[in-house]
Amino acid sequence: MRTKQKDLIRYIDGSLYCELAGIWIDPSKPVKRALITHAHFDHFTFGCEEYISTIETAILLRERVGDNIKIKTFDYGEEFKINGIKISFHPSGHILGSSQVKFIFAEEKWLISGDFKLQKDETCKQYEIVKTDYLISECTFGLPIFKWDETNKIANDISKWITNSPEKTSLLFCYSLGKAQRLLNEISQTNFKGNIYSHGSIYKMNNCYKELGIDMKDTIKIENKKKIDELKGSLILLPPSLSKGSYLKNFKNIQTAFASGWMSIRALRKRSGYDKGFAISDHADWDGILEVVKKSEAKNVFFHHGDTEALSKYLVEKESINVLFFGK
Amino acid sequence: MSLKKFSELFGDLDSINSTNNKIEVLKRYFLTNEPIDNSWAIYLLTGKSNKRFISGRYLKNLFSQIYEYPQWLIDTCYLKVGDSAEVITLLLKNKTTSRNKKLSNISLNELLSKTIPELSKLNEEQKNLQIKNIWETLPEDNHLIFNKILTGTFRVGVSIGLITKSISKLINIDEEIISHRLMGNFKPSIDSYEFLINKNINLEELNSKPFPFLLANNFEDKILKHSINDFQFEWKYDGIRMQLIKRSGNVSLWTRGQELVNESFPELVEKMSYTKDNFVLDGELLVWNFKKQIAFDFSFLQKRINRKSPTRSIQIKYPIIFIAYDLLEINGRDIREIKLENRRIELEKYFSKWQNETKNNITDIFRICDLIYPKDWSDVLTFKEKSRKNNTEGLIIKNKKSPYISGRKKGIWWKYKVDPMQLDAVLIYAKAGSGRRAGLYTDYSFALWKDQELIKFASAYSGLTNNEIKELDKWIRKNTIEKFGPVRSLKPEMVFEISFEKIQISKRHKSGIAVRFPRITKWRKDKKINAADSLENAYELMKKIS
Repeated sequence: MRTKQKDLIRYIDGSLYCELAGIWIDPSKPVKRALITHAHFDHFTFGCEEYISTIETAILLRERVGDNIKIKTFDYGEEFKINGIKISFHPSGHILGSSQVKFIFAEEKWLISGDFKLQKDETCKQYEIVKTDYLISECTFGLPIFKWDETNKIANDISKWITNSPEKTSLLFCYSLGKAQRLLNEISQTNFKGNIYSHGSIYKMNNCYKELGIDMKDTIKIENKKKIDELKGSLILLPPSLSKGSYLKNFKNIQTAFASGWMSIRALRKRSGYDKGFAISDHADWDGILEVVKKSEAKNVFFHHGDTEALSKYLVEKESINVLFFGK
Repeated sequence: MSLKKFSELFGDLDSINSTNNKIEVLKRYFLTNEPIDNSWAIYLLTGKSNKRFISGRYLKNLFSQIYEYPQWLIDTCYLKVGDSAEVITLLLKNKTTSRNKKLSNISLNELLSKTIPELSKLNEEQKNLQIKNIWETLPEDNHLIFNKILTGTFRVGVSIGLITKSISKLINIDEEIISHRLMGNFKPSIDSYEFLINKNINLEELNSKPFPFLLANNFEDKILKHSINDFQFEWKYDGIRMQLIKRSGNVSLWTRGQELVNESFPELVEKMSYTKDNFVLDGELLVWNFKKQIAFDFSFLQKRINRKSPTRSIQIKYPIIFIAYDLLEINGRDIREIKLENRRIELEKYFSKWQNETKNNITDIFRICDLIYPKDWSDVLTFKEKSRKNNTEGLIIKNKKSPYISGRKKGIWWKYKVDPMQLDAVLIYAKAGSGRRAGLYTDYSFALWKDQELIKFASAYSGLTNNEIKELDKWIRKNTIEKFGPVRSLKPEMVFEISFEKIQISKRHKSGIAVRFPRITKWRKDKKINAADSLENAYELMKKIS
């Protein structure tokens, strides 16, 4: 079954669109009115006339792209109306400020999950279960091979990885917004007590988190001319974009790792070119997606991002849930 | 010592790229674990045996059956992961509900000498139950090792050379000795480990073992600067490299893969036992065409390799010959240190002696390799080009002054292979790879023109760089015509240069030809598909060489 013209939310040119409200959700091209679920760049595009987001997302976005954008902000749970459609943001647990979006029109509830996770993360609000009729869920890791370990187990593995090689400088690559702060928070609770440095892009986001009231361990901003001896045995957080190219020449005697859900698969770990991979993700794993589908009590579910076919087929076969597909 | 230590070792070796660090990790493991576990670890890491107790398919079916999991879902996961043992390991993480039994803390030794061998004695139902039981009582960290050993897919980036180095560093004994101790059948036991790390060197102890093989490097231009008289030239045979050993009157045949193959070639064992001397010879085993006095194709040899105790008629149909090219030990005297030119003199001397002393003519099964005498380096090229006609792969060039040492050392032997044959072909199918290439389309099929039709003629997996693989993978996904399971048929648009070593008639293939060792040597982005080669071109190629 495909979405019909009359559906409240439709999928057009790779983006979700609510025609009645005139709102695009995380559009990839400039539009008049864009609702932004969180401040990652793959969910944001320049040039929209007006943006709508949570307060935290707005602050993070302004820090990243400058003040020159018009954003209307709302608190979590605060309901606002556009063309008679009731809209509200709810925590999605992905990163600070990330949200699910609920639309209600004529007694019919639609929920867009946004990017979400259920796992523990002290740097953002916990995922909130929202009941809905229609659920549009991400499924980046929609295969049962994805089953995340407890966050503190991964943090301890990272701590061990650093302390087992005291002669080395440990470079941990991770997304500069969200993942970096979550890792920082977790690692500071392990046995690793050495220095932690962050790249400028991460350092900036750490400060932003602090200003928004998140308890963050202080890190040292990494300067290009740091003495090599000083860095021995310490941890440096860097964005993945620096893993290739000449940046690494600034360091000597290093070991590298990448923190991402994809690192749970050996072939991808090997192909990634990092020495080590830590499977930690800000997206839900298979069980997480199933839990949200069930607890949302949605009668109809759509999936986007990732292996939507397998998850859809599984829900239809095993759980008798009505899975719908977006028309192209 | 628990299996956990070995799982950790596997994890470490898998995530370390530097050789020195790998050696350190191995040394630490050997120092902190029991000799018997060390022995098993070496056995596994050197790939001495990769016995498959059950197939990957069986493992997946079993999981599906036990946990009522749809088979198609496991197959979908497999496409992403590329390894049955790993897929099941990852899926088991999702099955924590049954994890209430007491976890067992078994050792590597127990697992390999008891648990797994006992599995193969059970009937299918008991076996399945037992595997389920092991899954549910074994700590999660050990699942991957267990599943991999079970399916015979245990592999990690460690070479036998690396193990040799680690042990050599551990006990401060020369690598050559360790390498020699590791040759032949390695049976995991406390004794075999103690023997390996014994600090006293007793040469008698190595009596039953072949010597570590000397391997050739690829031809380098820099040797052209030297006088041609510094080198010995031989044909490069395409057979099974082997050491033919006779010590204390007993003959043994050891392949380079360190397998004892006496049973496959009894006629050679028998004939050689008539000679009076004891010796170790390095050479090549071939199926020989006595009429033309050249080797038969490798495919003939395949008829003999895996057949133990071949019948008389098989022996006549596929007559073997051992061509010796080096003498390493004679009547207990190790002569590997003396120069090749002098070893050659000894080899020739003993060959004529053996010819005279045996009543049966040994030359119908044993010979020494003929030497080639090119006048100058350009003459070497002429010889090389002849090698297709006599069914050899090219030339081997050996430094006359060199000793016989182990491994692929620089400046001793070179292989100078005949240039491959090539055809430009069109990519028509792609299949997802496995292992390291899981989730990428890396297994390709190529076609040649026959009139207006493209006919598949070869499949190839290797030759593209990682970046090219990624680029092609993207193209494949966008240009798929149809999907059949893991295979996609593609829009004919991409042309590749395919190189191969041999070409022959084959009734099994639609194209009517079969090629040996096909590989991609160039992505011909400059060529349109109508410029690709035709089957006719392939037939002409075949005519030219035979």
